[in-house]
Amino acid sequence: MPVVRLYTARFAKMVGADRRSIIDRLPYIGLDIESVEKDSVRVEYSPNRPDFGTDFGIARALRGLLGKEVGLPSFPVSPSGIAVSVDRRLSSVRPYIACAVATGLRLDDEDIRQLISLQEDLHNGLGRRRRAAAIGIHDLDAVKPPFSYRAVDPSFAFVPLGGKEPSTVSTILARTDEGRLYGPALGGGPYPVISDSRGAVLSFPPIINGEATKVTSKTRSLFIDVTSTDEKTGDGVLAVVATTLAEAGGRLGTVSVKYPGRRKVTPDLAPIRLPLDGELVRSVLGMDLSAAEISKSLRRSRLGPKGRSVLAPKYRLDLMHPVDIAEEVALGYGFDRIGPTYPASKQPGSFNRFEEYLDSASTVMAGMGMTELMTYELTDRESLYGSFQRPDGDEIRVKDPKSLEHSVLRDALVPPMMSALHSNIRSDYPQRVFEIGRVYARAKEGVSETMHLGCLVAHSHSTFTEAKMYLESFCSTMGGVEVSARAGEHWAFAPGRCAFIEADGASLGQVGELRPEAISAFGLGVPVAGFELDLSRIYEQLK
Amino acid sequence: MSTSLHPIEQKVLAALASAGAVSFETLVGATSLQEDQVRRALQWLSSKKLVSITESVQTRLEAVRTPPELELVRKVGEASRLLSVEDLKDMFSSPQEFSAAFGRARGSGWIRVDGEQVPAVWVTDSNGPEVMRSLLASLASGKPESELSEAQAALVPDLVKRGILVRGETRSTTVAITEEGRQAATSAPAGEGIDRLTPEVLASGSWRGKRLRPIDVEAKAPRFYPGRRHPVRDFIREVRETYVSMGFTEVQGNSVHPAFWNFDALFVPQNHPSREMQDTFYLDGMSDRRLARTGPVANVAATHENGWKTGSRGWGYRWNIEEARRLVLRTHNTVLTVRALAEEKEKERRVFAVSKVYRNENLDYKHLAEFYQMDGIMVGEGLNVRHLMGFLTEFYKKLGMSQVKLWPTFFPYTEPSLEVVGYSKAVDAWIELSGSGVFRPEVTIPLDVRVPVLAWGPGIERLMLIRYGLDDLRALYGGDLSWLRSRSEVARS
Repeated sequence: MPVVRLYTARFAKMVGADRRSIIDRLPYIGLDIESVEKDSVRVEYSPNRPDFGTDFGIARALRGLLGKEVGLPSFPVSPSGIAVSVDRRLSSVRPYIACAVATGLRLDDEDIRQLISLQEDLHNGLGRRRRAAAIGIHDLDAVKPPFSYRAVDPSFAFVPLGGKEPSTVSTILARTDEGRLYGPALGGGPYPVISDSRGAVLSFPPIINGEATKVTSKTRSLFIDVTSTDEKTGDGVLAVVATTLAEAGGRLGTVSVKYPGRRKVTPDLAPIRLPLDGELVRSVLGMDLSAAEISKSLRRSRLGPKGRSVLAPKYRLDLMHPVDIAEEVALGYGFDRIGPTYPASKQPGSFNRFEEYLDSASTVMAGMGMTELMTYELTDRESLYGSFQRPDGDEIRVKDPKSLEHSVLRDALVPPMMSALHSNIRSDYPQRVFEIGRVYARAKEGVSETMHLGCLVAHSHSTFTEAKMYLESFCSTMGGVEVSARAGEHWAFAPGRCAFIEADGASLGQVGELRPEAISAFGLGVPVAGFELDLSRIYEQLK
Repeated sequence: MSTSLHPIEQKVLAALASAGAVSFETLVGATSLQEDQVRRALQWLSSKKLVSITESVQTRLEAVRTPPELELVRKVGEASRLLSVEDLKDMFSSPQEFSAAFGRARGSGWIRVDGEQVPAVWVTDSNGPEVMRSLLASLASGKPESELSEAQAALVPDLVKRGILVRGETRSTTVAITEEGRQAATSAPAGEGIDRLTPEVLASGSWRGKRLRPIDVEAKAPRFYPGRRHPVRDFIREVRETYVSMGFTEVQGNSVHPAFWNFDALFVPQNHPSREMQDTFYLDGMSDRRLARTGPVANVAATHENGWKTGSRGWGYRWNIEEARRLVLRTHNTVLTVRALAEEKEKERRVFAVSKVYRNENLDYKHLAEFYQMDGIMVGEGLNVRHLMGFLTEFYKKLGMSQVKLWPTFFPYTEPSLEVVGYSKAVDAWIELSGSGVFRPEVTIPLDVRVPVLAWGPGIERLMLIRYGLDDLRALYGGDLSWLRSRSEVARS
């Protein structure tokens, strides 16, 4: 989750409240306090509220909750006279551009830092790592409108941000971190650039801006571009940035975007209108709120209730359904003022029978002196296959695991339990362990999952007979099935010291002495015997 | 004072009572026990102050070889004829050894070389060699250095310098019985009483009139590890009992599901960051071909695209069945409760599942790739957010967390959404316990559920860490036997 740093002195001035009441209220607008430091507070916000990406946006919401400034914030815009023409050839790569102008700004270093952090968060969130939408922020006074959003060849060259010499588009894509990271979004081209009337390049979206329009603390007027693959997303992202600049003291200006065959004026900051359903609000919150209370609460949430509708600022992209308005009422009212009430159940509860069976199995095994293990279901290929010298190839792998130690779904419990014994070679012997856990196998339709019981005894005198004693004692204590043993061969157990466990002709598992190859592969110095049983199948037979 | 003495202790004490202070070796001889047995018995007895043990260290001179000049004099004296220098030389193992011996003996005036034709070796002073011989004999008999005669002592420095005499230390242990020991020895006569009740002793009745010989009931017994259930299983048991006591029915299900049930049915858009491979485990190359855009699947798809009949604007993108078919390891257990909801549409239900969830994480002290969650849902006409708050407060109270707060938060499938934080006395901090909320209409209506559904998905591991005073999640599933076998059953809350 993205994080914003709120400098206490600066933020207290923005909100008009003291540090204590600010820290108390932050969780009640849905922000997680990550750390409280001497001069600042770090808060995590959910990407569904991109307007919380700067201290400006958080202060705006908090002023509402504290009753300092309520209702729909207004964002006056006037035409800037600037136009952007869109090249027809871009319709196949990155068809949309939305722009805005903010003038009369006096940004200090912290303002700029907040804006850059917002831009980053929007790129990663709504922008889906710049694939869906990317933002460019430019010094308007450094370039000369009108602008064009046009397609160029890979050989097109300009000076990228932070550079001194012109680079070609193909060099930027191949040689820079940004090019390698975000270039794939453009496929094989054509490549988009935004340039001014004299050919100066503002941006090569979504990769990098031009050096020509670099923003400093001396910048007074900004030009914002948002290029996107989805028009609504682009408009939403622009609304977040433009309204934040308005909070920072900017005067907003519109830009005329000329698509082939149509014209659009951006930013469109006209409020979103949603239906206000008082009954729904009362039933979701379980509170008999009057229309006036609902209205007051909505205004504290910085919304504009208007008869049977609610107006919301354009940056509230998260409001999709009347039920979202119910939550806004709760937020404005204050969740801490809503009293919990517990509805006692009219019906008795019940345990799942199989879970109960597994729970009893654990009690019985522990009763025989075994220590219960819980190992991971995702394990590594070597301990599952290599250590037992059995071929892999049919294993169920997960895609792109962060760690190879957890990359294959186990098909048996014995291997991960042997790994556990390996990590316990310095613990006291005898070691008698068991595990009840899920194992996986490929099936005709996807994956079959069963619950197994594994048991291993490791000490200098462990034998087949000891393992079989525990197995038979377990089965007779649990009851319900008559099991028998038949000599057989299995990858985990030594030939001649392995039997299949059967009931009514169905195979339920194996018992045996572990193969010496496996014992030494896991670095154990004592013989190991054990068994593995399919408890899902046994339970099926009980029914 | 404890008078319960082991038979071995009694034997040792009896031997000491008659012998007084003796060396350890003598005591071993007197008891006809093994050295180890006596040593152990003495430890016990001395800790009970029935014997006193004195360790003493003595320095002792020891001859490691015979001085060569003495050897030479002996050879001359024992020879049956006159020996020439050459004859003598042949009698030594090396010329060097001979010349050392010859030089010393002649220098000390013990021998002379004299003769008309052939010079022979004569012993001139037999007293000098005699003093040296007596010195060696005294040392061999264990006489301490302080008791040597003046003449003997005069030889010592030179012999030590030449490495013929070596100073060594000997330790000796002297054991004596104390006054309490004497009393104990007399009050617990050996030979009376019975060591052990056996079936034979019981059958014959030979125990009558005798007592069981007292043993040391205060000594430590060997360590034994009882069989134990895993602490996580015990905690899950507690959670399950809590749920059932609150009227909930337990459900269970597979870990592998089509992405549809894990994400789409919960209104998580297909391009949502949480669906990416860096967070979610997809099974490599596997998908559920049977999933088709019909029935509830079609409703869910339309809801994503344009809101369908739910009253929502929808996410506004083109929904893709292939994405929904991919098999995933469930990232939350809401997938189980929501499937239960889709399968059986009762108006009033309480359902829970305590199962594993899976996330593509690098393991560290606060992240696991597999962990447990204890999700629940409550379905019923008229249920609202206050009931959700009420349930969670009650549930955590039963699990030992009496102070909880509910803060607004965001999840794609609930509205309102609340985060539960609880105060832990053990760590003196508010900790995140659970996400929760009221299912969005975009989740319930496509599944034809027309009553409110309250849902929550708490983890269990944070509570486990607090309970066991651990600070690393990996410790829970590391399979460390020393912790699993010795952790205390009485846990913190």
